[in-house]
Amino acid sequence: MTQHALTRRTFLTTTVGGAALVAAPRVLRAQPKSFKIAAVHPVTGPLAEPGQACRLGAQLAVEAVNAAGGVKGKGGLQVELLTGDTQSKPENGRLESERLVNQGAQMLMGSFDSGSTAAMVSVAQQKRVPFLIDIAAADPITANVAKAVKDGQQKLQYVYRNFPTGSSFGRKAVQYFTEIFAEAKLTPKRVVLMYCNDLFGVNQSRGFLAAYKAAKPAWTLLEDDVIPWPEPPSDLSTEVSKLKALRPDVIAPITRPASAQLLLPEIRKQRVEYLGIVGPGSPGLYEAGQIAALKDDLEYVMASNPWPNFRNPKTQRLAEDYQKRSNGRLFDTNSGYSYDAIFIIADVLERAAKLDDPDAIVEALQKTHYTGGLMQYGGPIHFNEVGDNPNAIPTMIQVLKSKPVAVWPKEAALQKFVFPRPKA
Amino acid sequence: MAEGSRPAEVRVPAPQGLTIDATLVAQGLLNGVLFGGVFSLMAVGLTLIFGVMRVVNFAHGDMMVWGMYLAWLMATRAGLDPYLGFVVCAAALFGLGFAVQRTLVQRIVDAPHEMQILLMLGVALVLENTALLVFGPEPQRVRSALAQSTVWLGPLFVDVARLIAFGVAALLAALLWLFLFRTDLGRSIRAAADNAYGALVIGTDVRRVYAVAFGVGAACVGAAGALVSPLLPFQPPTGLQLSVASFNIVIIGGMGSLVGAFVGGVLVAVAESLGAVFLRPSLKELVSFSLLVLILLFRPAGIFGRRAP
Repeated sequence: MTQHALTRRTFLTTTVGGAALVAAPRVLRAQPKSFKIAAVHPVTGPLAEPGQACRLGAQLAVEAVNAAGGVKGKGGLQVELLTGDTQSKPENGRLESERLVNQGAQMLMGSFDSGSTAAMVSVAQQKRVPFLIDIAAADPITANVAKAVKDGQQKLQYVYRNFPTGSSFGRKAVQYFTEIFAEAKLTPKRVVLMYCNDLFGVNQSRGFLAAYKAAKPAWTLLEDDVIPWPEPPSDLSTEVSKLKALRPDVIAPITRPASAQLLLPEIRKQRVEYLGIVGPGSPGLYEAGQIAALKDDLEYVMASNPWPNFRNPKTQRLAEDYQKRSNGRLFDTNSGYSYDAIFIIADVLERAAKLDDPDAIVEALQKTHYTGGLMQYGGPIHFNEVGDNPNAIPTMIQVLKSKPVAVWPKEAALQKFVFPRPKA
Repeated sequence: MAEGSRPAEVRVPAPQGLTIDATLVAQGLLNGVLFGGVFSLMAVGLTLIFGVMRVVNFAHGDMMVWGMYLAWLMATRAGLDPYLGFVVCAAALFGLGFAVQRTLVQRIVDAPHEMQILLMLGVALVLENTALLVFGPEPQRVRSALAQSTVWLGPLFVDVARLIAFGVAALLAALLWLFLFRTDLGRSIRAAADNAYGALVIGTDVRRVYAVAFGVGAACVGAAGALVSPLLPFQPPTGLQLSVASFNIVIIGGMGSLVGAFVGGVLVAVAESLGAVFLRPSLKELVSFSLLVLILLFRPAGIFGRRAP
């Protein structure tokens, strides 16, 4: 048997070569050409429509940031988007964000649905990658991390959210319901809550019920007769028969696009009589595709949703651009919040002491005080002790003449609401 | 009001303190039976393919979604009502099924089940993602003038769209039965299903028979897709949900049994509909899947299924 002797030359070439290989990524990291952001959204699967809107919103924002000279405080550093797709499956939130972090992503954003967003949190915390949630409402996503940090189980919170939470959705919805009913000089005695029974729907309905209990308004929600349905449903006729048996004054649905397309025609077919349909906050009740599919069934339907501030000329210009780039789609909740997220990140990068230290980015995130958002906010964007922006609030919108319009609160309204709906 | 007078309310111990009246139960039963017709037609296609080739068509729901999209295309581009357009959908899906069988399935008819499953899942993925590329991700719904109307029978309402879908589905199932039991080709299909080798020995072109059977199965689900398109919003991933519903029905009714698929479809739809009446509606699927568990425990071959020798 022959033995290969290790010569000095072989040893040197091997070790030097190996060391160079190991050191190479550090050299690259020290001199970044661009700052990589992983944008993970459900671009295929049942949530593809809003997911694609999020991605396009983020892409437009990245183009805008780079066209305006990048992150000026960091030598005009360009921002680069690495895109990921959860395929609308919660578990893929983790897989996709891990993949993109391995490709060099220095920050995470995403991911529209609460399930996959929750899965991304573990990657952010374990790998110390700052994560700005653009859309996801379930309260525990940030609250659990804040608690773990408070209890000393984790050192630092890397997860922040610029979107209303389920509980804040609930509080605002109850407030808007109360104000709108008072303005219309009506006190509905039978408000019926219906909701899709997924993580989002359950969280939203809990937030709404809790806020109702806390506020004790003059109007009455039938708390014991809520109607949940499995999502996605194949048939809602029995649910609507139950609704009809409750003789509702106001129907408060928390839907998804497909379930809204089942629910609203069924309400018409079964001739349910009511004063109005007012959603406490969910997709399905205002999107262009939904209006095209549901037509008259969506007319006068109101929904308390995060909404772009169309009083801002910048928002109007962007909405036109977005429409061209998306084959005529509307600039709305999803595209808008993802767009704002990129600008918040650019603002954070501007202020961060250094960009190769995730903790420095987190420090800048915590000190955020940003006023350039295009969505309707209740004040400057900043993050509270849990990591949420308390000024991320919904707006009551109503479909009027087949267009969603902001109708409440008064300072955001572009038109007066129509309630009760006119009788056909 | 046109709905007539409401019968006296009967308070039964119901969750959430909701009053369940006889009308609600009758309405749930009626809705379930009518919706079950379409479920049945969908499952008949699956059971036919399995019965003949012993191949589980995992792309079944996705084929149905293509039937729905074809109905939507005809309704939006040519103004053809889906209750007439279902014939075209059935024909197109027959072609698709025939082609898929000839080019792909035929190669794995005798392969182990796991290979068959992988191939059919692949076909499902291709169908779903092609639909996503072509039609986009938004949920769609076909608007039919007939789907807008309801007929009131006293306090009960009958959704005309459901009634027509049920009627046509029942008619198609009857025609399928006649085809299988009264025509030479149908007899060949049954012969190949019973004993492919024996059928081959007596001169049956088994490859052709298999392709026709797969085509007929796909045509059934294509027609079901068109018939249900005004009732059920659909988007590319809806296929998986429909496939699972079909498997549930076929297993309850009995794998390979046409009558079983029809009865199973109605049974599952009624179970879910009444489940929504008596339980929280979000638990209604629990009823149909509990039915599946019970069947698997006490009658594993299904209600109309034959035990394996």
